Amino acid sequence: MCTGAQRISLASLFWTFFRIGLLTFGGGVAMAAVMRYELVLKRRWLGEDDFVSAMATATAVPGVIAVNLAFLQGQRFRGLPGAGAAVLGTICPSFFVILLIVWSALPHFDHPTVAVFLKGCAVAVSGQIAFATYTFARRVRRNWRTGLACAVGLTVVLLGLHPIWAVVAAAGLSYFLQEPNGPSDSNGSGESQGSTLRSRGQTTSETQEGDA
Amino acid sequence: MNQTLSSLFVSFCLIGIGAYGGGLVTVPLIQHEVAEKHDWLSQQEMGKIVAIAQMTPGPIAINAATFVGYRVAGIAGAVVATTAVVLPSITILFILSHIVRRVRSSESLARFRTGMHTGVLSLLLFAVWSYGRGVVSGAPELGIAVAAFLTLVVFDRRIHPLIVIVAAGLVGLVIF
Repeated sequence: MCTGAQRISLASLFWTFFRIGLLTFGGGVAMAAVMRYELVLKRRWLGEDDFVSAMATATAVPGVIAVNLAFLQGQRFRGLPGAGAAVLGTICPSFFVILLIVWSALPHFDHPTVAVFLKGCAVAVSGQIAFATYTFARRVRRNWRTGLACAVGLTVVLLGLHPIWAVVAAAGLSYFLQEPNGPSDSNGSGESQGSTLRSRGQTTSETQEGDA
Repeated sequence: MNQTLSSLFVSFCLIGIGAYGGGLVTVPLIQHEVAEKHDWLSQQEMGKIVAIAQMTPGPIAINAATFVGYRVAGIAGAVVATTAVVLPSITILFILSHIVRRVRSSESLARFRTGMHTGVLSLLLFAVWSYGRGVVSGAPELGIAVAAFLTLVVFDRRIHPLIVIVAAGLVGLVIF
């Protein structure tokens, strides 16, 4: 792998992640394909394995995945200044595009034509959220444990508590309810290998997922 | 003004912490902070902002933070909200990177992931209801939402979500 010794300039870190920020819509795991193209295939900053590992870390902590990945790569190549350059690069396109829209289009949002167009778009997003839920539900191991954990999470949020508590409650319950020897479908032997493969499979399916 | 900026900061930090997995998972969090806890935007405006965030480049959370921040407190608000939304995760990563060299796909990480996926699923289920309730106000809206959902299911991964959203906007032009 041609990484490590390679010296990548702060400007080049900034521009690479600027491109990633500019070329992806929606965010989340949908960005993974673009990031893989830019970092692994085009620039060869990372090997395939390093990318999977970086994605595992970037998705293991909360927050915007692209920003997490930018931070990790920037830090890896140029320490904290590199991390700063890469994170700024990721954020800048969104920030300025939105400001541009706010300045140029916001006054027209109440124009009848624009308003109904945006209303149609907003309604379609609810279908998209339903779709994201559907793909997510297919990926999650479905048994009484996750069912119960999910129901508890929903109850928490329907009671009017902050949605973060729903994630904490459902995630915590699900973590502790899982069988101690790992998920039920992995057999005793080769378990750690199984889990490695599983999380790779997850990363791949997330990559293709569209927009969850 | 300072009061507003600090509540923007706190709200978007919370959104940054809760947004596990990114993307649409942030929608219910943004909605809770922006339209329910604070009276910064109405449910309808919230729907428009999410739609615009989906149609413009970059992660939804960042787009929404810049947008809401600007609406609430101008440029300063946009900067504060955008900074706040990324701050928690990069702080966690910074600390983590000094404790562990590399997160490996260990058994406990797999457990943690399964746990978080369940948590996120409960949040998404809630989002279908809470976001849907805000924007779907009649039969035509319900029709568009269901059609969008079915299109995405049928053409799973073969159609970009952006196309579906813009198409729904065009349908909206005709029927609303």
